[in-house]
Amino acid sequence: MSAAAPLPVAALGIARLRLAIVLVVLAAWEALSASGLLFRDVIPSLLKIGAALGKLLASADFYGNLGVTAGEISVALLIGGTAGLAVGIALGANRFLSQAFESLLLYLGPTPKIIFFPVMIMWFGVGPGSKVAMGVLSCFFPVAISAAAGMRQIDRVLIRVGRSFRATTWQMVTKIYLHAMREPIINGVRLGLGVAIVGTLLAETKLSNRGLGYLVIQAYALFDMPKMYALVIVLFVLSIGVNVAIGRLGRGVGTK
Amino acid sequence: MLNSDASAPAANALLAVEHVSKHFPTPEGVVTAVEDFSFSVKAGEFVSIIGPSGCGKSTLFNIIGGLLGGYEGRVSVDGATVSGTHPSIGMVFQEESTFPWRTVLDNVAFPLEIAGMDKAGRQERAAHFVALVGLQGFERRLPAELSGGMRQRVAIARTLASQPRILLMDEPFAALDEQTRLLLGDKVLQIQQELKQTTLLITHNLTEAVQLSDRVLVMTYRPGRLKRIVDIDLPHPRDSEVVSSEAFGHRVAEIWHDLREEASRGIAADEARVLRGGHRP
Repeated sequence: MSAAAPLPVAALGIARLRLAIVLVVLAAWEALSASGLLFRDVIPSLLKIGAALGKLLASADFYGNLGVTAGEISVALLIGGTAGLAVGIALGANRFLSQAFESLLLYLGPTPKIIFFPVMIMWFGVGPGSKVAMGVLSCFFPVAISAAAGMRQIDRVLIRVGRSFRATTWQMVTKIYLHAMREPIINGVRLGLGVAIVGTLLAETKLSNRGLGYLVIQAYALFDMPKMYALVIVLFVLSIGVNVAIGRLGRGVGTK
Repeated sequence: MLNSDASAPAANALLAVEHVSKHFPTPEGVVTAVEDFSFSVKAGEFVSIIGPSGCGKSTLFNIIGGLLGGYEGRVSVDGATVSGTHPSIGMVFQEESTFPWRTVLDNVAFPLEIAGMDKAGRQERAAHFVALVGLQGFERRLPAELSGGMRQRVAIARTLASQPRILLMDEPFAALDEQTRLLLGDKVLQIQQELKQTTLLITHNLTEAVQLSDRVLVMTYRPGRLKRIVDIDLPHPRDSEVVSSEAFGHRVAEIWHDLREEASRGIAADEARVLRGGHRP
Protein backbone atom coordinates (compact mmCIF):
# COMPACT_ATOMS: atom_id res chain seq x y z
CA MET A 1 0.00 0.00 0.00
CA SER A 2 2.90 2.38 0.70
CA ALA A 3 4.12 4.60 -2.12
CA ALA A 4 7.70 3.32 -2.07
CA ALA A 5 8.23 -0.30 -3.07
CA PRO A 6 8.80 -2.33 0.10
CA LEU A 7 12.17 -4.01 0.40
CA PRO A 8 12.02 -7.66 -0.66
CA VAL A 9 13.65 -8.57 2.63
CA ALA A 10 10.75 -6.97 4.55
CA ALA A 11 8.21 -8.74 2.35
CA LEU A 12 9.92 -12.04 2.99
CA GLY A 13 9.96 -11.27 6.71
CA ILE A 14 6.24 -10.57 6.70
CA ALA A 15 5.52 -13.83 4.84
CA ARG A 16 7.63 -15.74 7.34
CA LEU A 17 5.91 -14.10 10.29
CA ARG A 18 2.46 -14.93 8.89
CA LEU A 19 3.46 -18.54 8.26
CA ALA A 20 4.92 -18.78 11.77
CA ILE A 21 1.69 -17.52 13.36
CA VAL A 22 -0.38 -20.03 11.40
CA LEU A 23 1.97 -22.87 12.35
CA VAL A 24 1.95 -21.86 16.02
CA VAL A 25 -1.86 -21.76 16.10
CA LEU A 26 -2.13 -25.13 14.36
CA ALA A 27 0.46 -26.68 16.66
CA ALA A 28 -1.30 -25.29 19.76
CA TRP A 29 -4.60 -26.63 18.44
CA GLU A 30 -3.14 -30.06 17.86
CA ALA A 31 -1.44 -30.07 21.26
CA LEU A 32 -4.68 -29.08 23.00
CA SER A 33 -6.56 -31.74 21.09
CA ALA A 34 -4.02 -34.44 22.02
CA SER A 35 -3.81 -33.35 25.68
CA GLY A 36 -7.29 -34.67 26.43
CA LEU A 37 -7.96 -31.70 28.74
CA LEU A 38 -11.18 -30.89 26.99
CA PHE A 39 -14.31 -32.93 26.47
CA ARG A 40 -13.90 -35.23 23.50
CA ASP A 41 -14.14 -33.63 20.05
CA VAL A 42 -14.65 -30.05 21.28
CA ILE A 43 -11.19 -29.55 19.83
CA PRO A 44 -10.88 -32.42 17.36
CA SER A 45 -7.48 -33.19 15.87
CA LEU A 46 -6.57 -31.56 12.59
CA LEU A 47 -6.54 -34.95 10.90
CA LYS A 48 -10.15 -35.57 11.91
CA ILE A 49 -11.19 -32.13 10.66
CA GLY A 50 -9.27 -32.78 7.43
CA ALA A 51 -11.03 -36.07 6.93
CA ALA A 52 -14.43 -34.47 7.66
CA LEU A 53 -13.60 -31.70 5.19
CA GLY A 54 -12.75 -34.25 2.50
CA LYS A 55 -15.96 -36.14 3.15
CA LEU A 56 -17.96 -32.92 3.13
CA LEU A 57 -16.51 -31.73 -0.16
CA ALA A 58 -17.24 -35.11 -1.72
CA SER A 59 -20.90 -35.19 -0.68
CA ALA A 60 -23.71 -34.11 -2.99
CA ASP A 61 -25.66 -32.96 0.06
CA PHE A 62 -23.10 -30.25 0.73
CA TYR A 63 -23.30 -28.81 -2.78
CA GLY A 64 -27.08 -28.82 -2.69
CA ASN A 65 -27.07 -26.78 0.52
CA LEU A 66 -24.26 -24.56 -0.73
CA GLY A 67 -26.40 -23.81 -3.78
CA VAL A 68 -29.36 -22.91 -1.57
CA THR A 69 -27.32 -20.52 0.55
CA ALA A 70 -25.52 -18.97 -2.43
CA GLY A 71 -28.87 -18.52 -4.16
CA GLU A 72 -30.40 -16.87 -1.10
CA ILE A 73 -27.47 -14.48 -0.75
CA SER A 74 -27.47 -13.64 -4.48
CA VAL A 75 -31.18 -12.90 -4.56
CA ALA A 76 -30.89 -10.91 -1.32
CA LEU A 77 -28.03 -8.85 -2.75
CA LEU A 78 -29.89 -8.28 -6.00
CA ILE A 79 -33.08 -7.10 -4.29
CA GLY A 80 -31.50 -5.27 -1.37
CA GLY A 81 -28.74 -3.77 -3.50
CA THR A 82 -31.10 -2.49 -6.19
CA ALA A 83 -33.50 -1.08 -3.61
CA GLY A 84 -30.61 0.47 -1.66
CA LEU A 85 -29.17 2.01 -4.81
CA ALA A 86 -32.51 3.50 -5.85
CA VAL A 87 -33.23 4.89 -2.38
CA GLY A 88 -29.65 6.17 -2.00
CA ILE A 89 -29.73 7.98 -5.35
CA ALA A 90 -33.11 9.53 -4.53
CA LEU A 91 -31.88 10.71 -1.12
CA GLY A 92 -28.59 11.98 -2.53
CA ALA A 93 -30.32 13.86 -5.32
CA ASN A 94 -33.09 15.44 -3.31
CA ARG A 95 -32.33 17.56 -0.26
CA PHE A 96 -35.92 17.46 0.95
CA LEU A 97 -36.06 13.64 0.91
CA SER A 98 -32.64 13.46 2.45
CA GLN A 99 -33.64 15.69 5.37
CA ALA A 100 -36.85 13.72 5.85
CA PHE A 101 -35.46 10.19 5.73
CA GLU A 102 -31.70 10.01 5.88
CA SER A 103 -31.39 10.17 9.67
CA LEU A 104 -33.83 7.26 9.82
CA LEU A 105 -31.57 5.30 7.51
CA LEU A 106 -28.50 6.12 9.60
CA TYR A 107 -30.20 5.01 12.82
CA LEU A 108 -31.78 1.88 11.40
CA GLY A 109 -28.61 0.86 9.57
CA PRO A 110 -26.60 -0.47 12.53
CA THR A 111 -29.52 -2.09 14.41
CA PRO A 112 -29.31 -5.89 14.54
CA LYS A 113 -31.66 -7.12 11.82
CA ILE A 114 -31.97 -10.56 13.41
CA ILE A 115 -34.72 -9.16 15.69
CA PHE A 116 -36.94 -9.03 12.60
CA PHE A 117 -36.40 -12.73 11.91
CA PRO A 118 -39.58 -13.96 13.65
CA VAL A 119 -41.57 -11.47 11.59
CA MET A 120 -39.86 -12.65 8.41
CA ILE A 121 -40.66 -16.27 9.25
CA MET A 122 -44.31 -15.34 9.68
CA TRP A 123 -44.33 -13.49 6.39
CA PHE A 124 -42.14 -15.71 4.24
CA GLY A 125 -42.08 -19.13 5.93
CA VAL A 126 -39.30 -21.32 7.30
CA GLY A 127 -37.76 -21.94 3.84
CA PRO A 128 -35.40 -19.77 1.81
CA GLY A 129 -37.92 -16.89 1.61
CA SER A 130 -37.30 -15.70 5.15
CA LYS A 131 -33.50 -16.07 4.67
CA VAL A 132 -33.60 -13.92 1.56
CA ALA A 133 -35.67 -11.37 3.47
CA MET A 134 -33.02 -11.26 6.22
CA GLY A 135 -30.30 -10.81 3.61
CA VAL A 136 -32.25 -8.01 1.92
CA LEU A 137 -32.84 -6.24 5.24
CA SER A 138 -29.14 -6.50 6.03
CA CYS A 139 -27.66 -5.30 2.77
CA PHE A 140 -30.17 -2.56 1.94
CA PHE A 141 -28.77 -0.13 4.50
CA PRO A 142 -25.05 -0.04 3.69
CA VAL A 143 -25.79 0.19 -0.03
CA ALA A 144 -28.34 2.99 0.46
CA ILE A 145 -26.07 4.96 2.80
CA SER A 146 -23.06 4.64 0.47
CA ALA A 147 -25.09 5.55 -2.59
CA ALA A 148 -26.54 8.65 -0.89
CA ALA A 149 -23.06 9.77 0.16
CA GLY A 150 -21.72 8.93 -3.30
CA MET A 151 -24.36 11.06 -4.98
CA ARG A 152 -23.27 14.08 -3.00
CA GLN A 153 -19.63 13.54 -3.95
CA ILE A 154 -20.31 13.73 -7.67
CA ASP A 155 -18.57 16.67 -9.31
CA ARG A 156 -21.43 19.19 -9.73
CA VAL A 157 -20.19 20.31 -13.11
CA LEU A 158 -20.78 16.83 -14.57
CA ILE A 159 -24.41 17.08 -13.50
CA ARG A 160 -24.63 20.53 -15.10
CA VAL A 161 -23.17 19.12 -18.33
CA GLY A 162 -25.84 16.41 -18.35
CA ARG A 163 -28.57 18.95 -17.71
CA SER A 164 -27.24 21.32 -20.36
CA PHE A 165 -27.60 18.51 -22.91
CA ARG A 166 -31.13 17.87 -21.62
CA ALA A 167 -30.51 14.35 -20.37
CA THR A 168 -33.57 12.67 -18.87
CA THR A 169 -33.51 11.49 -15.26
CA TRP A 170 -32.93 7.92 -16.42
CA GLN A 171 -30.05 9.04 -18.67
CA MET A 172 -28.58 11.07 -15.80
CA VAL A 173 -28.65 7.94 -13.59
CA THR A 174 -27.29 5.45 -16.12
CA LYS A 175 -24.84 7.66 -18.00
CA ILE A 176 -23.54 9.94 -15.23
CA TYR A 177 -24.47 9.06 -11.64
CA LEU A 178 -23.66 5.35 -11.73
CA HIS A 179 -20.28 5.94 -13.38
CA ALA A 180 -19.32 8.87 -11.20
CA MET A 181 -20.34 6.92 -8.07
CA ARG A 182 -18.70 3.65 -8.99
CA GLU A 183 -16.31 3.56 -6.05
CA PRO A 184 -18.82 4.36 -3.29
CA ILE A 185 -21.28 1.92 -4.90
CA ILE A 186 -18.75 -0.90 -4.98
CA ASN A 187 -17.81 -0.15 -1.38
CA GLY A 188 -21.49 -0.20 -0.44
CA VAL A 189 -22.03 -3.49 -2.26
CA ARG A 190 -18.99 -4.99 -0.55
CA LEU A 191 -20.30 -3.98 2.88
CA GLY A 192 -23.78 -5.08 1.81
CA LEU A 193 -22.60 -8.48 0.69
CA GLY A 194 -20.76 -8.98 3.97
CA VAL A 195 -23.85 -8.27 6.04
CA ALA A 196 -26.10 -10.18 3.62
CA ILE A 197 -23.93 -13.27 4.23
CA VAL A 198 -24.15 -12.68 7.98
CA GLY A 199 -27.91 -12.07 7.90
CA THR A 200 -28.65 -15.09 5.73
CA LEU A 201 -26.41 -17.53 7.60
CA LEU A 202 -27.57 -16.31 10.98
CA ALA A 203 -31.17 -16.86 9.91
CA GLU A 204 -30.29 -20.33 8.63
CA THR A 205 -28.75 -21.31 11.96
CA LYS A 206 -31.83 -20.09 13.83
CA LEU A 207 -34.61 -21.84 12.00
CA SER A 208 -34.41 -23.48 8.60
CA ASN A 209 -34.52 -26.73 6.68
CA ARG A 210 -31.82 -26.09 4.06
CA GLY A 211 -28.54 -24.23 3.51
CA LEU A 212 -25.04 -24.18 4.97
CA GLY A 213 -26.18 -22.53 8.20
CA TYR A 214 -28.63 -25.39 8.61
CA LEU A 215 -25.79 -27.92 8.07
CA VAL A 216 -23.64 -26.20 10.69
CA ILE A 217 -26.37 -26.20 13.32
CA GLN A 218 -27.31 -29.77 12.43
CA ALA A 219 -23.70 -30.90 12.87
CA TYR A 220 -23.67 -29.09 16.21
CA ALA A 221 -26.92 -30.76 17.30
CA LEU A 222 -25.51 -34.19 16.39
CA PHE A 223 -22.24 -33.26 18.08
CA ASP A 224 -20.35 -33.97 14.86
CA MET A 225 -17.61 -31.47 15.73
CA PRO A 226 -15.18 -32.36 12.92
CA LYS A 227 -17.94 -31.76 10.36
CA MET A 228 -18.93 -28.51 12.04
CA TYR A 229 -15.35 -27.24 11.96
CA ALA A 230 -15.05 -28.34 8.33
CA LEU A 231 -18.18 -26.32 7.49
CA VAL A 232 -16.89 -23.30 9.39
CA ILE A 233 -13.62 -23.49 7.44
CA VAL A 234 -15.49 -23.75 4.14
CA LEU A 235 -17.68 -20.77 5.04
CA PHE A 236 -14.66 -18.68 5.99
CA VAL A 237 -12.82 -19.50 2.80
CA LEU A 238 -15.88 -18.79 0.67
CA SER A 239 -16.56 -15.44 2.38
CA ILE A 240 -12.95 -14.34 2.01
CA GLY A 241 -12.99 -15.45 -1.62
CA VAL A 242 -16.14 -13.46 -2.39
CA ASN A 243 -14.72 -10.35 -0.69
CA VAL A 244 -11.44 -10.63 -2.58
CA ALA A 245 -13.37 -11.07 -5.84
CA ILE A 246 -15.45 -7.94 -5.23
CA GLY A 247 -12.33 -6.01 -4.23
CA ARG A 248 -10.66 -7.06 -7.50
CA LEU A 249 -13.76 -6.08 -9.45
CA GLY A 250 -13.73 -2.67 -7.75
CA ARG A 251 -10.11 -2.06 -8.61
CA GLY A 252 -10.50 -3.41 -12.13
CA VAL A 253 -13.28 -1.04 -13.10
CA GLY A 254 -12.00 1.75 -10.88
CA THR A 255 -8.90 2.21 -13.03
CA LYS A 256 -10.84 2.28 -16.25
CA MET B 1 -17.10 52.45 -32.33
CA LEU B 2 -18.73 52.88 -28.94
CA ASN B 3 -22.34 52.08 -28.56
CA SER B 4 -24.16 52.37 -25.28
CA ASP B 5 -27.64 51.93 -26.58
CA ALA B 6 -28.48 48.27 -26.50
CA SER B 7 -31.86 48.08 -24.84
CA ALA B 8 -33.73 47.06 -27.98
CA PRO B 9 -32.60 43.84 -29.64
CA ALA B 10 -31.39 44.22 -33.21
CA ALA B 11 -33.90 43.05 -35.77
CA ASN B 12 -31.55 40.35 -37.06
CA ALA B 13 -30.57 39.10 -33.61
CA LEU B 14 -30.15 35.34 -33.18
CA LEU B 15 -29.88 35.57 -29.39
CA ALA B 16 -31.61 38.36 -27.56
CA VAL B 17 -31.40 39.08 -23.84
CA GLU B 18 -33.89 41.71 -22.73
CA HIS B 19 -34.04 43.46 -19.36
CA VAL B 20 -32.80 40.45 -17.44
CA SER B 21 -32.44 40.86 -13.67
CA LYS B 22 -31.65 38.26 -11.05
CA HIS B 23 -31.77 38.62 -7.27
CA PHE B 24 -30.39 36.18 -4.71
CA PRO B 25 -31.39 36.08 -1.07
CA THR B 26 -28.32 35.95 1.18
CA PRO B 27 -27.91 36.18 4.97
CA GLU B 28 -26.87 39.81 4.45
CA GLY B 29 -29.97 40.69 2.45
CA VAL B 30 -31.00 40.41 -1.17
CA VAL B 31 -28.12 40.71 -3.60
CA THR B 32 -28.85 41.80 -7.14
CA ALA B 33 -26.44 39.81 -9.27
CA VAL B 34 -27.64 41.05 -12.65
CA GLU B 35 -29.75 44.14 -13.24
CA ASP B 36 -31.69 45.13 -16.34
CA PHE B 37 -29.20 43.51 -18.69
CA SER B 38 -29.99 43.71 -22.40
CA PHE B 39 -27.99 42.83 -25.48
CA SER B 40 -28.24 40.76 -28.60
CA VAL B 41 -25.96 38.61 -30.71
CA LYS B 42 -26.28 38.35 -34.49
CA ALA B 43 -25.81 35.09 -36.34
CA GLY B 44 -22.14 34.33 -36.90
CA GLU B 45 -21.01 36.98 -34.44
CA PHE B 46 -18.44 36.47 -31.66
CA VAL B 47 -19.41 38.48 -28.61
CA SER B 48 -17.64 38.57 -25.25
CA ILE B 49 -18.96 39.72 -21.92
CA ILE B 50 -16.20 40.96 -19.68
CA GLY B 51 -16.42 42.04 -16.07
CA PRO B 52 -14.61 41.88 -12.74
CA SER B 53 -14.99 38.81 -10.51
CA GLY B 54 -18.28 38.81 -8.69
CA CYS B 55 -20.07 40.95 -11.27
CA GLY B 56 -22.68 38.32 -12.08
CA LYS B 57 -21.12 36.98 -15.29
CA SER B 58 -21.68 33.38 -14.31
CA THR B 59 -25.24 34.15 -13.24
CA LEU B 60 -25.87 35.52 -16.71
CA PHE B 61 -24.23 32.44 -18.24
CA ASN B 62 -26.51 30.13 -16.26
CA ILE B 63 -29.60 32.18 -17.10
CA ILE B 64 -28.88 32.20 -20.84
CA GLY B 65 -27.97 28.51 -20.77
CA GLY B 66 -31.23 27.74 -18.99
CA LEU B 67 -29.68 26.21 -15.85
CA LEU B 68 -30.92 29.04 -13.65
CA GLY B 69 -34.52 30.17 -13.48
CA GLY B 70 -36.42 32.69 -11.40
CA TYR B 71 -35.16 35.80 -13.18
CA GLU B 72 -36.95 38.82 -14.61
CA GLY B 73 -36.78 39.66 -18.28
CA ARG B 74 -36.59 37.53 -21.37
CA VAL B 75 -34.10 35.39 -23.25
CA SER B 76 -35.00 34.51 -26.82
CA VAL B 77 -33.51 32.65 -29.74
CA ASP B 78 -34.72 33.80 -33.15
CA GLY B 79 -37.53 35.67 -31.45
CA ALA B 80 -38.87 32.67 -29.54
CA THR B 81 -38.66 32.92 -25.74
CA VAL B 82 -36.39 30.33 -24.19
CA SER B 83 -36.92 28.92 -20.73
CA GLY B 84 -34.83 26.09 -19.38
CA THR B 85 -32.09 24.37 -21.34
CA HIS B 86 -32.49 24.61 -25.07
CA PRO B 87 -30.98 22.65 -27.97
CA SER B 88 -30.07 25.94 -29.70
CA ILE B 89 -27.67 26.88 -26.93
CA GLY B 90 -24.59 24.76 -26.18
CA MET B 91 -22.70 25.42 -22.96
CA VAL B 92 -19.00 25.04 -22.21
CA PHE B 93 -18.13 25.26 -18.54
CA GLN B 94 -15.25 26.86 -16.73
CA GLU B 95 -14.50 23.81 -14.60
CA GLU B 96 -12.96 20.57 -15.75
CA SER B 97 -16.05 18.93 -17.21
CA THR B 98 -15.01 15.93 -19.30
CA PHE B 99 -16.35 12.58 -18.09
CA PRO B 100 -13.26 10.82 -16.70
CA TRP B 101 -14.64 7.33 -17.45
CA ARG B 102 -15.26 8.06 -21.14
CA THR B 103 -12.70 8.17 -23.90
CA VAL B 104 -12.23 11.37 -25.88
CA LEU B 105 -14.48 10.05 -28.64
CA ASP B 106 -17.18 8.88 -26.23
CA ASN B 107 -17.05 12.20 -24.40
CA VAL B 108 -17.65 14.08 -27.63
CA ALA B 109 -20.39 11.62 -28.62
CA PHE B 110 -22.20 12.17 -25.29
CA PRO B 111 -24.78 14.75 -26.45
CA LEU B 112 -25.52 12.62 -29.53
CA GLU B 113 -26.06 9.59 -27.31
CA ILE B 114 -28.44 11.66 -25.16
CA ALA B 115 -30.30 12.72 -28.29
CA GLY B 116 -30.68 9.05 -29.27
CA MET B 117 -28.47 9.01 -32.37
CA ASP B 118 -27.39 5.54 -33.54
CA LYS B 119 -23.90 4.38 -32.67
CA ALA B 120 -22.33 4.57 -36.13
CA GLY B 121 -23.75 8.03 -36.75
CA ARG B 122 -22.60 9.48 -33.48
CA GLN B 123 -19.12 7.98 -33.73
CA GLU B 124 -18.70 9.49 -37.15
CA ARG B 125 -19.88 12.90 -36.08
CA ALA B 126 -17.88 12.79 -32.85
CA ALA B 127 -14.74 11.85 -34.80
CA HIS B 128 -15.32 14.88 -37.03
CA PHE B 129 -15.46 17.26 -34.07
CA VAL B 130 -12.50 15.61 -32.34
CA ALA B 131 -10.51 16.32 -35.51
CA LEU B 132 -11.89 19.85 -35.68
CA VAL B 133 -10.36 20.72 -32.30
CA GLY B 134 -7.10 19.10 -33.42
CA LEU B 135 -7.26 15.96 -31.31
CA GLN B 136 -7.22 13.33 -34.04
CA GLY B 137 -5.21 10.35 -32.83
CA PHE B 138 -6.44 10.82 -29.25
CA GLU B 139 -9.92 9.37 -29.78
CA ARG B 140 -9.31 6.31 -27.59
CA ARG B 141 -7.50 8.17 -24.81
CA LEU B 142 -9.03 8.90 -21.44
CA PRO B 143 -9.18 12.48 -20.13
CA ALA B 144 -6.67 11.66 -17.37
CA GLU B 145 -4.04 11.03 -20.07
CA LEU B 146 -4.51 14.49 -21.59
CA SER B 147 -3.32 17.95 -20.58
CA GLY B 148 -5.75 20.54 -19.20
CA GLY B 149 -5.80 22.38 -22.52
CA MET B 150 -6.57 19.17 -24.41
CA ARG B 151 -9.36 18.31 -22.00
CA GLN B 152 -10.89 21.73 -22.50
CA ARG B 153 -10.76 21.14 -26.27
CA VAL B 154 -12.62 17.87 -25.69
CA ALA B 155 -15.27 19.80 -23.75
CA ILE B 156 -15.57 22.34 -26.58
CA ALA B 157 -15.77 19.57 -29.20
CA ARG B 158 -18.47 17.85 -27.13
CA THR B 159 -20.61 20.98 -27.08
CA LEU B 160 -19.96 21.67 -30.78
CA ALA B 161 -20.98 18.08 -31.61
CA SER B 162 -24.49 18.88 -30.41
CA GLN B 163 -24.45 21.52 -33.18
CA PRO B 164 -25.91 24.38 -31.17
CA ARG B 165 -26.83 27.56 -32.97
CA ILE B 166 -25.19 29.52 -30.18
CA LEU B 167 -22.00 28.42 -28.43
CA LEU B 168 -22.06 29.77 -24.87
CA MET B 169 -18.76 29.57 -22.99
CA ASP B 170 -18.01 30.55 -19.38
CA GLU B 171 -14.30 31.30 -18.98
CA PRO B 172 -13.35 28.09 -20.74
CA PHE B 173 -9.63 28.87 -20.56
CA ALA B 174 -9.56 30.16 -16.99
CA ALA B 175 -7.64 27.19 -15.63
CA LEU B 176 -4.99 27.25 -18.38
CA ASP B 177 -1.65 29.03 -18.54
CA GLU B 178 -1.30 32.18 -20.64
CA GLN B 179 0.45 30.55 -23.63
CA THR B 180 -1.99 27.67 -23.87
CA ARG B 181 -4.79 30.17 -23.51
CA LEU B 182 -3.56 32.27 -26.48
CA LEU B 183 -3.06 29.24 -28.72
CA LEU B 184 -6.37 27.73 -27.74
CA GLY B 185 -7.93 31.10 -28.49
CA ASP B 186 -6.51 30.82 -32.02
CA LYS B 187 -8.07 27.40 -32.34
CA VAL B 188 -11.45 28.57 -31.13
CA LEU B 189 -11.37 31.53 -33.49
CA GLN B 190 -10.40 29.34 -36.43
CA ILE B 191 -13.25 26.92 -35.67
CA GLN B 192 -15.65 29.78 -35.14
CA GLN B 193 -14.79 31.17 -38.61
CA GLU B 194 -14.97 27.74 -40.19
CA LEU B 195 -18.39 26.89 -38.75
CA LYS B 196 -19.60 30.52 -38.75
CA GLN B 197 -20.45 29.63 -35.18
CA THR B 198 -22.35 32.28 -33.25
CA THR B 199 -20.45 32.51 -29.98
CA LEU B 200 -20.96 34.20 -26.64
CA LEU B 201 -17.93 34.11 -24.38
CA ILE B 202 -17.98 35.08 -20.71
CA THR B 203 -14.54 36.09 -19.48
CA HIS B 204 -12.57 38.29 -17.13
CA ASN B 205 -9.54 38.22 -19.42
CA LEU B 206 -9.01 41.39 -21.44
CA THR B 207 -6.56 39.95 -23.97
CA GLU B 208 -8.83 37.00 -24.62
CA ALA B 209 -11.90 39.19 -25.08
CA VAL B 210 -10.19 41.51 -27.56
CA GLN B 211 -8.33 38.71 -29.38
CA LEU B 212 -11.50 36.76 -30.11
CA SER B 213 -14.45 39.09 -30.29
CA ASP B 214 -16.32 41.21 -32.77
CA ARG B 215 -17.86 43.06 -29.85
CA VAL B 216 -17.05 43.23 -26.16
CA LEU B 217 -19.71 43.99 -23.56
CA VAL B 218 -18.29 45.49 -20.38
CA MET B 219 -20.20 44.65 -17.22
CA THR B 220 -20.32 46.71 -14.03
CA TYR B 221 -19.48 45.32 -10.61
CA ARG B 222 -22.51 44.30 -8.59
CA PRO B 223 -25.23 44.74 -9.55
CA GLY B 224 -24.09 43.53 -12.97
CA ARG B 225 -25.29 46.03 -15.52
CA LEU B 226 -24.18 46.62 -19.07
CA LYS B 227 -21.67 49.46 -18.88
CA ARG B 228 -20.57 49.78 -22.46
CA ILE B 229 -20.26 47.95 -25.75
CA VAL B 230 -16.93 48.13 -27.55
CA ASP B 231 -16.69 47.10 -31.20
CA ILE B 232 -13.46 45.31 -31.99
CA ASP B 233 -12.79 46.32 -35.57
CA LEU B 234 -9.56 44.39 -35.91
CA PRO B 235 -9.26 42.58 -39.23
CA HIS B 236 -10.21 38.91 -39.75
CA PRO B 237 -8.85 36.28 -39.93
CA ARG B 238 -7.06 36.98 -36.67
CA ASP B 239 -4.61 34.96 -34.70
CA SER B 240 -2.74 35.44 -31.46
CA GLU B 241 -0.14 37.58 -33.29
CA VAL B 242 -2.75 40.32 -33.11
CA VAL B 243 -1.99 40.87 -29.45
CA SER B 244 1.23 42.67 -30.37
CA SER B 245 -0.42 45.12 -32.79
CA GLU B 246 -0.96 48.78 -31.94
CA ALA B 247 -4.69 48.64 -32.68
CA PHE B 248 -5.04 45.72 -30.26
CA GLY B 249 -3.34 47.76 -27.57
CA HIS B 250 -5.79 50.60 -28.12
CA ARG B 251 -8.81 48.36 -27.73
CA VAL B 252 -7.41 46.76 -24.60
CA ALA B 253 -6.65 50.18 -23.12
CA GLU B 254 -10.14 51.37 -23.96
CA ILE B 255 -11.80 48.45 -22.25
CA TRP B 256 -9.43 48.53 -19.31
CA HIS B 257 -10.37 52.15 -18.73
CA ASP B 258 -13.95 51.02 -18.09
CA LEU B 259 -13.13 47.77 -16.43
CA ARG B 260 -10.63 49.28 -14.04
CA GLU B 261 -13.27 51.31 -12.22
CA GLU B 262 -15.45 48.23 -11.82
CA ALA B 263 -12.63 45.97 -10.73
CA SER B 264 -11.57 48.59 -8.14
CA ARG B 265 -15.09 48.75 -6.82
CA GLY B 266 -15.09 44.96 -6.59
CA ILE B 267 -11.87 44.90 -4.63
CA ALA B 268 -13.06 47.69 -2.31
CA ALA B 269 -16.32 45.83 -1.72
CA ASP B 270 -14.44 42.64 -0.91
CA GLU B 271 -12.21 44.46 1.56
CA ALA B 272 -15.20 46.08 3.24
CA ARG B 273 -16.89 42.71 3.51
CA VAL B 274 -13.88 41.10 5.15
CA LEU B 275 -13.64 44.00 7.62
CA ARG B 276 -17.32 43.54 8.48
CA GLY B 277 -16.61 39.89 9.03
CA GLY B 278 -19.17 38.87 6.46
CA HIS B 279 -18.94 36.05 3.98
CA ARG B 280 -18.60 36.18 0.26
CA PRO B 281 -22.05 35.48 -1.14
